[in-house]
Amino acid sequence: MNQDPNDTGVGEGRKKTSVSSLIHWTDFRVTVIILAICGALYTVTTGFEEVAAMLAQNIPPEWFPQLLIWIVVALSLVLPFEHLFLEKGAAEIDKDRSEKIKPMAMITAALLILAVTSILLFGTALAMVLVCIALPLLWGERRAKVLVPYFILFPLAVTLLFTQVLKVYFEPGAFGPAIQ
Amino acid sequence: MEAMFQGLGLILDPFNFFLIFCGVLIGVIVGALPGLSSPMAVALLLPFTIGLDPIPAIAMLSALYCAGTFGGSITAILINAPGAPPAVATAFDGYPMAKRGEAGRALGMAAVSSVAGGIFSLIVFLIATPLLAKAALTFRPPEYFALAVFALSMLASISGKSSVRNLIAGAAGVLISTVGIHLTTGVERFTLGLTDLTDGIHFVPVLIGLFAVGELLNQSQALNIAYERITSIVVRLPSRADFLKVKWTILRSSLLGTFIGILPAEGSTVAAIMGYNEAKRWSKNKEEFGHGAIEGIAGPEAANNAAAGGAMVPTLALGIPGSGTTAVILVALIMHGFRPGPYLMNQTPHFIYAIFGAMMIANLMFFVLGLAGAKVFSRITLIPRTLLWPSVFVFSMIGAYSFSSSVFDVWVMLVSGIVGFLMLRHGFGPAPLVMGLILGQLVEESLSQSMIMFDNNWFQFFESPIVVMFFVLTLLGLFGAPLVRFLGKIYNRVKPPERRAAE
Repeated sequence: MNQDPNDTGVGEGRKKTSVSSLIHWTDFRVTVIILAICGALYTVTTGFEEVAAMLAQNIPPEWFPQLLIWIVVALSLVLPFEHLFLEKGAAEIDKDRSEKIKPMAMITAALLILAVTSILLFGTALAMVLVCIALPLLWGERRAKVLVPYFILFPLAVTLLFTQVLKVYFEPGAFGPAIQ
Repeated sequence: MEAMFQGLGLILDPFNFFLIFCGVLIGVIVGALPGLSSPMAVALLLPFTIGLDPIPAIAMLSALYCAGTFGGSITAILINAPGAPPAVATAFDGYPMAKRGEAGRALGMAAVSSVAGGIFSLIVFLIATPLLAKAALTFRPPEYFALAVFALSMLASISGKSSVRNLIAGAAGVLISTVGIHLTTGVERFTLGLTDLTDGIHFVPVLIGLFAVGELLNQSQALNIAYERITSIVVRLPSRADFLKVKWTILRSSLLGTFIGILPAEGSTVAAIMGYNEAKRWSKNKEEFGHGAIEGIAGPEAANNAAAGGAMVPTLALGIPGSGTTAVILVALIMHGFRPGPYLMNQTPHFIYAIFGAMMIANLMFFVLGLAGAKVFSRITLIPRTLLWPSVFVFSMIGAYSFSSSVFDVWVMLVSGIVGFLMLRHGFGPAPLVMGLILGQLVEESLSQSMIMFDNNWFQFFESPIVVMFFVLTLLGLFGAPLVRFLGKIYNRVKPPERRAAE
């Protein structure tokens, strides 16, 4: 039994008051998000094209997805109370989310989105070069003698391998031909 | 017999042999690099195999799988950073041994145990796969539905922090598999009017996104981690005394690992942890565990490699993935035009023997590579992460794109990666989602066919003893562990105080 009054044992999500301690509040928020997604998906399923019962053979197209949505809903309702059944409470799960998402992860995600967008603009090969310059710089790589050969040779090798050996067509991008 | 010689002959072809070597080399490197995992490597390698014949392609991926499981032990022992999740238990005793100057002995034991476990499971694979495939030939849609449901229920017990989360992720995976045109009626489902989605969501971009991009975002938060490195390594084989000490541990772990591997969805990580626990439970020197017990290396290493061979049994015989990595291998099989399941064994038996041969060669190769190159492989972690992960993203981007030369697939990969990162933060692993995605079509099709067969009468499911057996196993998979824990608690409360005190 945990004797430390300051240690809730289950991380930030669990409050100390007796009634609310039954609910893990972080997981409660996760449940709300899952339920919202399920609600939206369920609404989409109600808009599926209707087909004659004979064609559907008594199994309309929305039946299986709706069954799955109900299963997810049922399981997600257990989430806020799951910590009560876990051997170590929610400590292990809370360990990974005890800290907020670091800005670096968000900036990296934004950069990756930018990189994928750049495929359509500059083409696949230049998008690779962009990734090989921007991501190391973002992550703190400042050694020019490492970085320069890397962003030249690595995308070049990958491009040659895929276009010449594996015969994959690379997207030229909207400005690709002009740049070339 | 003819099929066996044909299959093994194919593998001994110099080019195929070279591909297996490449698979092993990549596997050991990937296994040794913390953050990179076997499923990720197999997913990233998939696009490279498009131009290959199916047998060398699958042989290379299978070799990578075997070697990747072993590779994790190198960094687990030398820098206390398991390169792959199945090597977590190896670090418990491997690193303390390395710290007291026995890195070579620890690495040698890891290599020997891995090979022993791997070869044991391959022998079981060779015997069990045809038998299981033969039994599965009698399966009709209801049996397949029950089997798929059983496989999904096993997600409740795979490694991860929460059974409920694994089941939610599995169900979400099945739900994602419903995107596209409904086969029975031709109605578009969840396509949002996008023509790219009418074919459904392709497996490969989702796999790459979940395993590679999700981890990349995770790594972006841990750029300042530095590892303490053991530098003086003289790798030598374990002594005769070491062998005598661990021979039963290896045998027990090999059996346990193979069995766990054969169970749908259960993979090497569960096997390794159970192998470690069993090694400790049966050891006469329990107090040494955690401080550098040689059995603490033999147990998990034999078990995790045995699980790799075991996991191939349901994958090839039934078309039900035995682990996260075999789920990706299953996708590779489908991509190369094979239909995993009993017909694979019956129509192309030489294929199974070729895979057996490839995995056997891979085991022997990583034994040699692991012993001879441990020092080199441990230096792989010196590759700056600032260059490694951008390279992973470039391969992810090109891998997702080259599957069908579609930028839409790159977006699917990226969205899957971001969603996977957020899911992982809240304890939802990528492996259950992938399993659900792959089993989804089988679940829906077999359920629909069964309902048509039974004229919508659910009770007819219970007329088949095989279906009933799988449903009982499903219930045990879902509620067995909590029930045992609950009964254990009750037993502890009601047992006599003197016995409780004695314990």
